[in-house]
Amino acid sequence: MKVVECKDLTKVYGRSNALNNLSFSIEENKITGLIGRNGAGKTTLLKIMAGFLHHSSGEIKVFEETPFNNLKVSANSIFIDNEMSFPPALSLKELLITAGSFYPYWDQKLADRLFDYFSFNPNIRHGNLSKGMKSTFNMIVGLAARCPLTIFDEPTSGMDSGVRKDFYRAVLKDYLAHPRSIILSSHLVEEVEDLLEDILLIKEGEKCLHMPVEDLKEYAVGISGKTAIVDEVLSGKDIIFEQSIGTDSTYVVIKKDGSQKELEKAEESGLELTAVSIDNLCLYLTSKTTGGIDHVFS
Amino acid sequence: MYLAEVNAWDIVKKQYQYKLQSYMGVFTSLIVIQIIAILFSFNGTGMSGGGSSTFSYSLNYYSGSMILIFTMIWGLITAIIITSKAYRYDDYSFITNRGTTHTSNLLFLLSASIFAGITVLLCTHFIQVLYIYSVNSESVMFEQLTIIQNLKGISGTILYIFFFTSIGYFIGSLIQISRLFIFVLPVLFFGAVIADGLGKEQSMIPHVIKFFGNESSFGLFILKILAASALMYGFAIIISKKLEVRP
Amino acid sequence: MILNSNSITPIYMQIAEWLETEIINETITSDEKIYSQYQLAEMFNINPATAAKGINILADENVLYKKRGLGMFVATDAREIILKKRKSTKLHDMVHELVKEAIQLQVSKEELVNMIQQMHVKIKGEEQ
Repeated sequence: MKVVECKDLTKVYGRSNALNNLSFSIEENKITGLIGRNGAGKTTLLKIMAGFLHHSSGEIKVFEETPFNNLKVSANSIFIDNEMSFPPALSLKELLITAGSFYPYWDQKLADRLFDYFSFNPNIRHGNLSKGMKSTFNMIVGLAARCPLTIFDEPTSGMDSGVRKDFYRAVLKDYLAHPRSIILSSHLVEEVEDLLEDILLIKEGEKCLHMPVEDLKEYAVGISGKTAIVDEVLSGKDIIFEQSIGTDSTYVVIKKDGSQKELEKAEESGLELTAVSIDNLCLYLTSKTTGGIDHVFS
Repeated sequence: MYLAEVNAWDIVKKQYQYKLQSYMGVFTSLIVIQIIAILFSFNGTGMSGGGSSTFSYSLNYYSGSMILIFTMIWGLITAIIITSKAYRYDDYSFITNRGTTHTSNLLFLLSASIFAGITVLLCTHFIQVLYIYSVNSESVMFEQLTIIQNLKGISGTILYIFFFTSIGYFIGSLIQISRLFIFVLPVLFFGAVIADGLGKEQSMIPHVIKFFGNESSFGLFILKILAASALMYGFAIIISKKLEVRP
Repeated sequence: MILNSNSITPIYMQIAEWLETEIINETITSDEKIYSQYQLAEMFNINPATAAKGINILADENVLYKKRGLGMFVATDAREIILKKRKSTKLHDMVHELVKEAIQLQVSKEELVNMIQQMHVKIKGEEQ
């Protein structure tokens, strides 16, 4: 069963499109990373999934229902970000108990353990927490709710690196014990790539690609060497990134198109082939020009 | 994957509990406002006097109407506050949709109105007791009310307050649609009052007050108030249908 | 073992290689049950689908076999298969690199063979 299904999803803000004809589907019990630059439309997409926002046109189904104003979707999904608001009258401990009264699969024991592990003061108010502590508390709510669709929007913002690591480990461990669909947005791919099964990369509201992380690692290849030789190999290739090194050398990233022989030939002619990290690949794929920041200064 | 089936009424009950707990400030403000109203009432709402060469008298009227007016305004403002973003978004941190949010808000405001109605009555009695101790008791006279009259009085009070919460809820929802209403509504209101005063005979405001206040049949009064409140809540629900959360 | 996310070798290949090493070292012997994808995911902090991919590579090479409902087990001749494979691929590749480098550095064939022999003696000697 598909957990999320979008068809030509578009969201218009004023005159610009935050999302533009986005089509994809997410299968159940996968951890999917939603990756994109700032302003690519990640948060808008996730808020539409959670039923917070309307979409302008196209179609979105979550659990085969339109999420906006849908109680079933609300009960089976949770949207976690660092702007979650809680009533100032309730203490952190009371908030956890309230959350438990709402969510049918809530695990109070897990919530309490994480709460103690991160040494929260049970009597403090949510509004008095620091940014990082807020994110940590919200993450506890998100994990303990055990919703069939758990959405984390930039969950680690403000967390220190120790808590980040703990967070990702906690997500993985709880996911192994209780598989469910998790969508995690981030602009730091490196941090999350091991945790993910699939990556959904978006750029300016449009889908860039959607594939298993492991396939993405073999999606492209980096070639470096003398510019003249590189240019020869490049004819008819899909260039993702290009950078000149020194006066007569070039580094290019091209999409692998299965012709292994050609690559071997390139290697024999003195070019160096390297793998491209997912982090860099995502950056290259979502940058506006193939030349990067260097183009500004040239 | 097992999807939880949820019952809307179940969620409403949970939200209602959640709101009773988290909107405690609403009740604190009520108490503060009623204490202030008591202080105002202490001066009396009316005075007349007279005398001759041998004696003089003064007559002071005291009533709880000041407390009721203050409480109605409290109801109006409370309802406006509840429709504000901060309160609305709190719901969306847990399970909800617009239907359950409105229903639990309505239940909460009804409960708050009942509580406020009862405290209005208590405050009125409190003023009477204060006078007995502060003034020579022989000179204090009470309107004697039967139990039925008392019950009618209290339910009437509650309904008035509830009606005002419904107006507040409508106003609050309008403001959520567009911030412009923060300016438009007061202008409309005071404009109407002033325009009304300019004419030869005042028409609108007294008519409205008469329509609700001078109804001699209690049953009809209930019907009028409830219908008007339902209209207000209905409008509020309709206009907030498309409101987005944390856009 | 800590996985190297920045390595050219994909994570699932690293998992497969780690399992192979465990088998070569006889930490896990024939007909013994191998770690499940969930155990591997937990051990290496990776997505279970990635771990499963690593296991599947070994299953495709007949290093592992599946028992219905019980999981993956080490084949009887697993060690031989791995050793043979490593000789023909990994060692072959390394020699390829070595010879390429030697040619670039203008090291003669005799010189290279000499170096290999010396190194062989040295490492063997250290081991004993």
